[in-house]
Amino acid sequence: MRFNSPAQRALDTACARGATYADVRFEDGRSERIEVRNGVVVTLSDNRSVGYGIRAFHDGAWGFAANDDVSEAGIDATAARAVAIAKAGAAIAKRRFAEAPADKFIDRYETPIERAPSDVPLGERVALLLSAEQALHATSRITVGRAWIDLWSIEKEFHSTTGSKIAQKLYQTGSGIAALAVGEHDAQERTFPGDIGLYQGGGWEIVAAARLDENAARIGEEADRLLDAPQCPSGEMDVILGGSQVSLQIHESCGHAAELDRIMGWEANFSGTSFLDPKLLGALQYGSKNVTIVIDNTLPRGLATVGYDDEGSKSVRSDIIRDGVLVGFEMSRDTARTIGRETNACVRAQSWRHVPMIRMCNLNLLPGDRPFEALFEDVKRGIYMESNRSWSIDDRRLNFQFGCQIGWEIVDGRRGRMLKNPTYAGVTPQFWNACDAVADERSWLAWGTPNCGKGEPMQTGRTAQAAAPARFRNVRVGVGYNG
Amino acid sequence: MDKIDREKLAERALQLAGAGEHEVLVTDADDALTRFTQNAIHQNVAHCETTIRVRTVSDGRTGVAATNVLDEAALREVVQRAGTIAEFAPRDAAFPGLPAGGPTHAPPNAFVAATAAATPDLRAKLAAEVFAVAENDRLWAAGFVKTSRESITIANSRGTLASFDGTDAGMNVKQNGASSTGFAERYSSGVGDLDARRVAKIAAGKVRRSTEPQAVDPGEWTVILEPAAFGELLSYLTDHFSAQAYDEGSSFLSEGLDRSYVAENVSIRDDYTHLLAPGMPFDFEGVPKQRVSLIENGVAKHVVTDSYWAAKLARPDTGHALPAPNAYGPLPLNVVVEPGVKPVEQLIAETKRGLLVSRFWYVRPVDLRQTIVTGMTRDGTFLIDNGKIAGGVRNLRFNQSIIAALAQVEFGSELARSASYSYANVVPAAKLERFRFTSLTDF
Repeated sequence: MRFNSPAQRALDTACARGATYADVRFEDGRSERIEVRNGVVVTLSDNRSVGYGIRAFHDGAWGFAANDDVSEAGIDATAARAVAIAKAGAAIAKRRFAEAPADKFIDRYETPIERAPSDVPLGERVALLLSAEQALHATSRITVGRAWIDLWSIEKEFHSTTGSKIAQKLYQTGSGIAALAVGEHDAQERTFPGDIGLYQGGGWEIVAAARLDENAARIGEEADRLLDAPQCPSGEMDVILGGSQVSLQIHESCGHAAELDRIMGWEANFSGTSFLDPKLLGALQYGSKNVTIVIDNTLPRGLATVGYDDEGSKSVRSDIIRDGVLVGFEMSRDTARTIGRETNACVRAQSWRHVPMIRMCNLNLLPGDRPFEALFEDVKRGIYMESNRSWSIDDRRLNFQFGCQIGWEIVDGRRGRMLKNPTYAGVTPQFWNACDAVADERSWLAWGTPNCGKGEPMQTGRTAQAAAPARFRNVRVGVGYNG
Repeated sequence: MDKIDREKLAERALQLAGAGEHEVLVTDADDALTRFTQNAIHQNVAHCETTIRVRTVSDGRTGVAATNVLDEAALREVVQRAGTIAEFAPRDAAFPGLPAGGPTHAPPNAFVAATAAATPDLRAKLAAEVFAVAENDRLWAAGFVKTSRESITIANSRGTLASFDGTDAGMNVKQNGASSTGFAERYSSGVGDLDARRVAKIAAGKVRRSTEPQAVDPGEWTVILEPAAFGELLSYLTDHFSAQAYDEGSSFLSEGLDRSYVAENVSIRDDYTHLLAPGMPFDFEGVPKQRVSLIENGVAKHVVTDSYWAAKLARPDTGHALPAPNAYGPLPLNVVVEPGVKPVEQLIAETKRGLLVSRFWYVRPVDLRQTIVTGMTRDGTFLIDNGKIAGGVRNLRFNQSIIAALAQVEFGSELARSASYSYANVVPAAKLERFRFTSLTDF
């Protein structure tokens, strides 16, 4: 393995300084971004970042130190710093973490890709975005067109004092378009695909799957038409959410709520806690029987799909909500132990700079039994909403309010006129219990969320929530504007 | 890496880049954070890193490449990559050329040696002081203590050379009781200013005063926002002062400058020299930062620019560029609100019925042009009845236009620095009328 020698040095130094367990994560990451804005390539960048993070365990306390200095002196100093930090914590600890892990894996993993992004000439990538961005300007009221591609590749190695040596090469790719229409005292934006683009694990095929070019004109036209569309009404009515909005709804009101570190208070001062509790496992009717949500970090094309997580645990599939009942949490080794369970490998760090923490990874709502169109059939009065533009939820993940970019009235089972500024609000378990239908696998997609914020220092995680459109009964609509 | 080494590194990269327009940005950071919950440290981290970023411009074509590998081969490679990328970029006819810098002076308290030298033991000691207060009050505390040093050097082929060393320290504490929580924070460039015991006690006092919080009806309320709450609300307005948002129509200011948008007693400026939040005296292009009046006595005066938007809109370059590549346009990063004359206690005493808010959570834009945002109260929300705090209330969700809220406002007389991961500003407490709450939680 590429970092075998420096990794061993880091582990030896940490142990010599007093660590009873240590692991080190070396990463060599590349991120390329191209963004076109109104015909100008405003971003064309290629960043490389190499470094390592060392976790050291001493007397029931953890320390973490990260550095980009890969010299022997740099590694020695960083390992010593990690142990010194652990000792500073141990010196005032009244509660101690249980002894560190004993797992050992020696393995390699690589994201399957169909076409390496590096095989696509830079000129071709730029040309695709220029073309799509130009097509967004369907009318003169489109003041800003944007099109972008993100290409991320990372080589990482995990080494631990228990003998684990895990090498992974991961590819993640995303792209999207956005049009901003400006009218008198109003601005309306449409993005595609979903609200942030299509982000998945894989190579250039993910950009191709987004079909930016063929959708750009429609997206520009929709942004323009929204300026003249009537305001979404207020009241209680049925709501059908598009797949990307269901994905965000899962992310905010299930994914974060079921993070066991939050439940244990580890995020109390920032991201918050949770309304969930281990006592509710097997007892809480979180949603209707149509709601089954699983962690699956082996999901093909999942943005969070890996072979192993960032504390060296092998990816698995495990249930979080089964037929509407809460049955599991997203867990690390430390946290799982406190409730008598095994980790489900949900630990990630944003980069080598960051300490690994619990993430929802790929958290998927399993598809239902009917085509998307059938969701409309027995809706007497309702709104179909697509593509998020505003999201907010309280620090226990109960009271939420979301706004979407675009809506359509539903009357007597038919999709009618376009509506602007659609918003809806609810309380998590009541909302999921009002889910009476999920569309089938034909509209099920592994939607990626590349910008999930959590932790201090703040980390931006890449998660996915595979989802299909879903229907919810008697939802409070229009609250953002008219209460 | 000290200033001399950073400047040498930048000059070497410029040398390797050769003829043409080039800009080099070197950043060197060392930061550490001790995080705690339930009166114990659970995450305790440190990070140091030096990066170099090269922007090459050739005939209006721009490429940017960055790396944190700093040997000679890597320097050559990053310079070459920036040049190669620029070849593929279409020409931007509006690109005005890289700007020339100018003399700058860092605020005197921007760098505090004790902060740069802070140890994990010092952070643990401050955390332990928080735990002692919590345990004494039978509470549990969650929060962090952090210390950091950030150094930057910017050089370009027009002779710009600017360097800055800054430090920052901060802590926030959420105290947790059986039925209520309380929050307090403190930030300073000097770690010696962090009075952990005081911060912990303020937060603990809020827990005691909001025990068994009561339900109140959503609707329009008079609110007094403490600086942490008002600072977060205000952070959703700062994007609007960008020349890019102004020109493209996504800012409320797109209706026009030199117009009155808010009450006459509202004055907002961008000021990197403020002693509570001393900042970098130049922007990420090395251009000296101007102190800019954004709103003066209720009237919108200026938007901030970088070299690109200054040229495009024929306005002065105010020195507010972000690092290249930048799709967001220039931004004010040191926002200061002019305080009022009354202490917050007087604002409370003069309120017949209202709510006192410690902190907001998960604020997000609902409507750009109307500046409507939604969010939740959190960690200490109190009923004010006949000028007195009458106990805690359950948390509420609001939907409110920021501009509309600032149409009738009174500010407290004391300024505080408020910060989160995406902003830092200097603000007073603010008393706002007809603030619209739309729902209530059961906690």
